[in-house]
Amino acid sequence: MANLETSLKECLSAIDGASAAALVDYTSGMALGTLGGSKEFNLEVAAAGNTDVVRAKLRTMELLGLKEEIEDILITLNSQYHLIRLLKGRGGNGLFLYLVLDASRANLAMARHQLRRIESELEV
Amino acid sequence: MAVESDVLDELRGLRNRVPQLTGSLAATVDGLVLAHDAPGTEPEGLAALTAAALGVAHRMADATGRGGFRELLLRGTDGYVATYAAGPAVVLTLLADGRVNVGRLHLEGRRSGARIGELVGAHIGRDGVGTASAERVVTPAPEAGRPIGTLPVRTPQRPAHLPSPQAGGHRRPT
Repeated sequence: MANLETSLKECLSAIDGASAAALVDYTSGMALGTLGGSKEFNLEVAAAGNTDVVRAKLRTMELLGLKEEIEDILITLNSQYHLIRLLKGRGGNGLFLYLVLDASRANLAMARHQLRRIESELEV
Repeated sequence: MAVESDVLDELRGLRNRVPQLTGSLAATVDGLVLAHDAPGTEPEGLAALTAAALGVAHRMADATGRGGFRELLLRGTDGYVATYAAGPAVVLTLLADGRVNVGRLHLEGRRSGARIGELVGAHIGRDGVGTASAERVVTPAPEAGRPIGTLPVRTPQRPAHLPSPQAGGHRRPT
């Protein structure tokens, strides 16, 4: 079991091409922890904006009558991947991990695999 | 006079950007309404309550050494009330329902607060009222243009402290 700081550090060190990571509470839109980012890439803004993404998807699924859970969401930009992974169980309800990857350096399959492992070990 | 309509435009824009916002109000720190976009609430009462809350907030920040006032967030079972500093003499109070994205509310509230602070600051400068320093307390500008009878009934006591969102701080009016 790993704590928040350790998990965020591991996101950036263990996953190739990762440049920023955050743990976000999508009931409030606020980040519980952030690592990486910069003046140009404000993770607080990303946390609030991606909260709307997650909420929109959950609402869509509800309207469609899908009784499923979101495992992760992938957003592909020209030069970046953004990965959102929802936390399961152990009080992790209502939280997601947000990861920014450099598309030229990252291995998407490996990144998803690593993020799943980090998420399963994270204790909030 | 134009400053009120500019501030009102800012409040309306804010409500478009944050759909869960149910009302917004810009008021001076001494409890006078500058502009409001809050259907179903009494802006004068809300402005007076905001001033009272600010007084407590400022003393609390002082007592615990947290510096000048920046923002205040209240969460009730059915929603939020957030107050953001908007320049040295004005604050922005937002009402939002319980589903609001608080992160987003903070981002938009801080941005609008800064914008309203600029609008009011520019207005003071233009009128030549507080040319010596923009940190002077705003004399309640709405009074002049307001028809008699719509004035806030309360004659508020000026709080001892004013919010100062800028790093430089400000001097207390004497």
